[in-house]
Amino acid sequence: MSLGRTIFLTLAAALLGAAGLSAQDPTGTVSGRVVEGATQEPVAGAAVSVAARNAVSGADGRFSITGVPAGTHTVQATRIGYGQATQQVTVTAGGTSTVTLTVGSQALLLEGVVAIGYGERQVRDVTGSVQGVSAEDFNTGRVVSAEQLIQGKVAGVQISDNGEPGGTTNIRIRGGTSLTASSEPLFVIDGVPIAAGGGLSSGRNPLNFLNPDDIERVTVLKDASSTAIYGSRGANGVIIIETRTGSTGPQFTYGTSFSTSRIVREPDLLSAAEFRAAVQQYAPERANLLGQANTDWRGAVQRNGSGQEHELAVAGSGGDMNYRLSLGWLGQEGVIQGSETERVSAALSYNHRLFSDALNVRASLRGARTDDQFTPGGVIGAANALDPTQPIQTDDGFFEWTNNNLAPNNPVAELGLAQETGTTYRSIGSLETRYRLPFVEGLSATGRLGFDVAKAERRNFYPTTQRSQLESRVACEREAGDPLCPTGTLNRQNPSQVTSLLDAFLTYSRRLDGLDSDLEATAGYSYEATDRDSTWFQARGLSSDILGPNGIPSAALTQSVVDVRDSRLASFFGRLNYTLADRYLLTLSVRRDASSRFGPNHQWGTFPSAALAWRLSDEAALDRYDWLSDLKVRASWGVSGNQFFNDYQWISSYRYGDDLTQVQFGDEFVTTIRPSAVDPDIKWEETTSWNFGVDYGLWDNRISGAVEYYVKNTDDLIFTVPVSAGTNLSNFVTTNIGSMRNQGVELSINSRVLNGTRGGLTWDANFNAAYNRNRLLSLNEFGGGERVSWGGISGGVGNTIQVLQPGQPVYSFLVYRHKRGADGKPVNGDTNGNGTIELKELYENVNGDTLVNVDDRTPFENPAPDWILAHTSQFGFRSFDLSFALRAHLGNYVYNNVASNQGYYGALRGSAGLLNLHSSVLEYGFQGDQFFSDVYVEDASFLRMDNLTLGYTFSGVRGVDNARLFGTVQNVFTLTGYSGVDPEAGLGGIDNNIYPRSRTFTAGISLGF
Amino acid sequence: MNIKACTTLVVAAGLLAGLPGCTDVTTEPQSTATPATVFDDPSSYKSFIARVYGGLQITGQQGPAGLPDIQGIDEGFSHYLRQFWQLQELPTDEAVIGWGDLGLPEIVTQRWGSDNQFLSAMYYRVFFQVMMANEFLRETTDSKLAGRSVSTSLRNDIRQYRAEARYLRALSYWHGIDLFGNIPLVTEEIPLGKTPPQQSTRQAVYEFVVSELTAIRPELPAVGAGQYGRADQGAVNMLLAKVYLNAAVYTGTARWSEARAALDLVVNSGAYQLDDDYDHLFLADNHTSPEIIFAVPFDGVRTQTHGGMTFLQHAAVGGNMTAADYGLDGGWWGLRIRPEAYGRYDLANDDRTSFFYSSGHSVAIDNLSDFFDGVAAPKFRNVTSGGSPGSSSYFPDTDFPMFRLADAYLMYAEAVLRGGGGSRPQALGYVNAIRARAYGDAGGNIADAQLTLQFILDERGRELLWEGHRRTDLIRYDRFTDNGVWTFKGGLPAGSTTASHLDLYPIPATEMQSNPNLSQNPGYAQN
Repeated sequence: MSLGRTIFLTLAAALLGAAGLSAQDPTGTVSGRVVEGATQEPVAGAAVSVAARNAVSGADGRFSITGVPAGTHTVQATRIGYGQATQQVTVTAGGTSTVTLTVGSQALLLEGVVAIGYGERQVRDVTGSVQGVSAEDFNTGRVVSAEQLIQGKVAGVQISDNGEPGGTTNIRIRGGTSLTASSEPLFVIDGVPIAAGGGLSSGRNPLNFLNPDDIERVTVLKDASSTAIYGSRGANGVIIIETRTGSTGPQFTYGTSFSTSRIVREPDLLSAAEFRAAVQQYAPERANLLGQANTDWRGAVQRNGSGQEHELAVAGSGGDMNYRLSLGWLGQEGVIQGSETERVSAALSYNHRLFSDALNVRASLRGARTDDQFTPGGVIGAANALDPTQPIQTDDGFFEWTNNNLAPNNPVAELGLAQETGTTYRSIGSLETRYRLPFVEGLSATGRLGFDVAKAERRNFYPTTQRSQLESRVACEREAGDPLCPTGTLNRQNPSQVTSLLDAFLTYSRRLDGLDSDLEATAGYSYEATDRDSTWFQARGLSSDILGPNGIPSAALTQSVVDVRDSRLASFFGRLNYTLADRYLLTLSVRRDASSRFGPNHQWGTFPSAALAWRLSDEAALDRYDWLSDLKVRASWGVSGNQFFNDYQWISSYRYGDDLTQVQFGDEFVTTIRPSAVDPDIKWEETTSWNFGVDYGLWDNRISGAVEYYVKNTDDLIFTVPVSAGTNLSNFVTTNIGSMRNQGVELSINSRVLNGTRGGLTWDANFNAAYNRNRLLSLNEFGGGERVSWGGISGGVGNTIQVLQPGQPVYSFLVYRHKRGADGKPVNGDTNGNGTIELKELYENVNGDTLVNVDDRTPFENPAPDWILAHTSQFGFRSFDLSFALRAHLGNYVYNNVASNQGYYGALRGSAGLLNLHSSVLEYGFQGDQFFSDVYVEDASFLRMDNLTLGYTFSGVRGVDNARLFGTVQNVFTLTGYSGVDPEAGLGGIDNNIYPRSRTFTAGISLGF
Repeated sequence: MNIKACTTLVVAAGLLAGLPGCTDVTTEPQSTATPATVFDDPSSYKSFIARVYGGLQITGQQGPAGLPDIQGIDEGFSHYLRQFWQLQELPTDEAVIGWGDLGLPEIVTQRWGSDNQFLSAMYYRVFFQVMMANEFLRETTDSKLAGRSVSTSLRNDIRQYRAEARYLRALSYWHGIDLFGNIPLVTEEIPLGKTPPQQSTRQAVYEFVVSELTAIRPELPAVGAGQYGRADQGAVNMLLAKVYLNAAVYTGTARWSEARAALDLVVNSGAYQLDDDYDHLFLADNHTSPEIIFAVPFDGVRTQTHGGMTFLQHAAVGGNMTAADYGLDGGWWGLRIRPEAYGRYDLANDDRTSFFYSSGHSVAIDNLSDFFDGVAAPKFRNVTSGGSPGSSSYFPDTDFPMFRLADAYLMYAEAVLRGGGGSRPQALGYVNAIRARAYGDAGGNIADAQLTLQFILDERGRELLWEGHRRTDLIRYDRFTDNGVWTFKGGLPAGSTTASHLDLYPIPATEMQSNPNLSQNPGYAQN
């Protein structure tokens, strides 16, 4: 049968409903119980499957599956916290076969099967570093996007959200591998890869469209032997998300939760009284600018953010099909006024088996509309900076620094006037058909068509009455001598992105009895096309505000941009899994990718991998160690790539200048064109990684886990580097230069400490630890200590605090070493009494020349943690469950930009009105700014309780299968020596008026009926 | 090939075998032009040469900032004229700036090292200009034009454009050797690539500039006949005169008579007159001034940048000044005049001090960062001579007068005094014409005996204050480093002399790292 006919039939089946098509096949029923081995107690909630049909055991451990084709099948039962049970069963047409499945109680082994990309595999047979987390172990509480579900669950995965509802989340798996390209992992949702940074609204999370409640399992591929199957996109790891499908029923589930969030830490700024005293002492000539009020500016822009969520799903299965339909609604307010996100989502998944199960069709379709409101930029900074002695409102309206356009504007007025909103529609879907080919035992073909469509609109409106608009005026129609118009700005941005995907692959699986071997091979082809289209326009100098963001009466100045970009990716891939004697495992894979991001001579890249594993515990020699239930050693090597960077870096292009960059020739203004600087020979960035691991299980797997060691070398880094003057058309060119290394160790321990035998108390504990060390090895072909500045800060213009320098971790802080006095405090003052404070009095002369100047800054610490430690405990007692999650980062440093920017008395005499000071000035007493002092680079190690959840499960409620009531506290406490608002100030390590982190209380209920 | 076609092909082929058509992934830009398509539009030549001029005016392809030309520095900081002005004025006796931007106080106090973002921005701006001009020349060779069926009239235009590209390249090379000494000489003969260029000598680049200017002169419109904002023979002669006048610094061999001869062609052309109103040269409608030989134009609506005049005007305003008086939305509280330059003026009689703003300010400077230390000197204003504000309160309309007749007069006088021939009475006449304008009558005129080299240096300080000439002038007079003391020179309020190697800025550290062929200037650490 051709694939075309397969697809046709699939579509027909999906459309017609398949009950009629399959009724002619002879089927029977499998029913039985799932029990625990030692106690023979029934096990509820176990997933039972036979012949690709699924059911879940009830409270009495019973299950029943109808419509099973006549013949011999294997029944399988799995349940988190228990071992897996399998049993052969013979089904006769019209008959019922009964089985009892006995599962052993065991530790929290992460599920029996993990996704490995274009297939799945038993955990015991995995050769690479792969870890799955299933729904039972997800974080609960206020969760907007999917990656927060697994924060702290997987060793070596750092997940950092920015605290804003729907805001960016950054993920690093075993450290970043790239500088110019993205270091975010690849997401694959039901087989459809989602481009990194695929969010269309900048600063928003690309996974916001996905309802976390729809997710069944998240699998993280960490080492290159696992990710090489994704070739050019695997270097930063891969996160595979599989969504739920129906298994029994029909069953309805409804869940709802309500939450409230409040800010836990605020920047330490001077009080009104302290500020008055500081002005009178250090800038008495400006004391007349002080006000009489005592204003809490931050309090005026903060609030308790409330949120609620509702999810309704219906799932079920029939003879040859199962389905799940879900609807979700989420609304959350941020803790800063003006920020809010709202999401409506719907998802449908449908599976159908045809032709005696030879053909399996799975259709999945999901979509969401997200409406965002944003706190206008500058509000947080202004609330931190405004003089606390000034009132929010005066008799003339809002307080503002008039005749000073450098001063921050009243944030309360901004909140009331500016409008920043966005709407994003996103849908992804896939249609997968798997056909078991006749004649060849074990051979099946899979075809998948997928799409990812996103369309967004971002709307900003700033009325002419807003202070910032009054201060920045534009030319408008006027009589000579008239003043210029206040700006008044409206802009809209409409990005859209359409990705189409085709996957086709063959899978061959065979037991070779004569060789005591198992063979599984996969080979396929994939083609992906992405078309992006973005339009932007802006109107300034609005003649009236009354139309708001929805219309333009007339405008003095309009600008518009259209940008169209297309990218393509074609791939061939293959993988071979070979198992000898059930204990020697070999995996080989290779992928060849062609990407439009590279010129015709460098489009193709090859990404091979190899892995070996040895299940020592299956060796007879180790049988006598009863306590050793599982032991596997693994070694893997692989090459993966990274192509997450801009299109068209290989081809020089002439870019047109806009209307504001014209050049005057006589009376004429000429639009310009500029050729761009490119390296036509740009090629793949390649990460070669080695991974060595041991998986262990002790005492019937009551304790289990893994220990890993890895080295990742990234070569041919795609990086925008300074090139020597006179070689290209700009001073920076994006090319393959430099290399970087990440190496580290990971350790995980999962343990069932109490198994419920005494008093029924169960306690599962999970601990994981990861250490990563990053080094930038080189930045150009000539070696040497080239420095590239990074990490812009507030204070001055264009100042940066970080550096990329060979031999140092990436993004190390580049600072002066501040001299400390006898009291341990940083030196501050004219120590040699010559009338002026010189740099040499404050800072160490590092380079040994005669001067202390900018050349004396040296790399010092970096934002990445050395260690990430996490612990989760789950307790169960009768109908109660309790869990908590702790997480610690050690050795991460943060630059406290609020302290540096507002931490010197000289700021009182600065240009931007009287601005509040940071309390650090009381301790250090700096007169001038010390932006580049190491004083502000603080050790931000912390221990945080991320989550505390208490639940109660009701039983025996009539008409309700299960009901659970729960309460969750997120961000319960944080222990840290860091002085700013959040020691986890994003991945960048610069704490500059960041969105504050909140503590969230959530209460909810879930019902199944 | 699109995905539908691929789907069809895959389906037709059954599965994986033979998919050559589905492996074509090449896509090309659609929202920007490629080298293969851009010159299909004949207006592209003019747009391209405009961009070479634009290198002095704008910082990227979006105004006021966006799609920057050079990276590694704030885009507003990266402005050619902003950096050129800062490096020519801030370390001299004319100006201080109060900001603490990384490396900026070190420029003000002559304490810079090679890892200074302002030095590297200037260095890369020079080479951005050179590379744009080179690319223009490569794309407009006879053989390329022949292949594109270019009309005869356009071909004539392009001939002039090519001469202008070479002029702009020569201008930047002059800035390059003046500031940095021995720099690579890269011409259109050297293709784009990755090979770092060899270092050339200051002398070799000097000779290249002279020969280029001599060669292109006949290709350009006559003195004063060029379009405003574009180079003509007046601009060429002026630049040649600048290069010759400083030849002793660049090569050790003086070229006074060549300088004087080039100036003759400017001053005798009759194409330029001293503006009756000194202030008009620095106002929003200064494009109408008859005195300007070569200007860098700015416009509040059409030519926007955070550098250039936006910087120069905002930075000079602050304190108790009313920004609207200068046609601005506010001040940036930065620039003040050093007491030494302030003291050179006859404050009671010299009209060239009319824009000084001293209310609340002290003449002395005790604290560099205090805007009230030192008199404010907002010389350039975004207001027309009729009193109307410019077309934007943020982006001034005022153009920067790079070369003007009064400068030519003073250069002529200096060349004569230094033995370059010419007429001493003529020189005295030129100087007194400038003096008479400044004083409103002959009260400030000088006698022949007073016409000394020292007087000319001082008069240049008075007439050309804050116009970007001072550092070059002081070095020509050997007063920049180991001679001459002014406030905060060397870092302390009293000032001191400094080491003579500071007459040259260092080759930027980033450049030393990325080009192994370079040797650092004497006196600076090699890396």
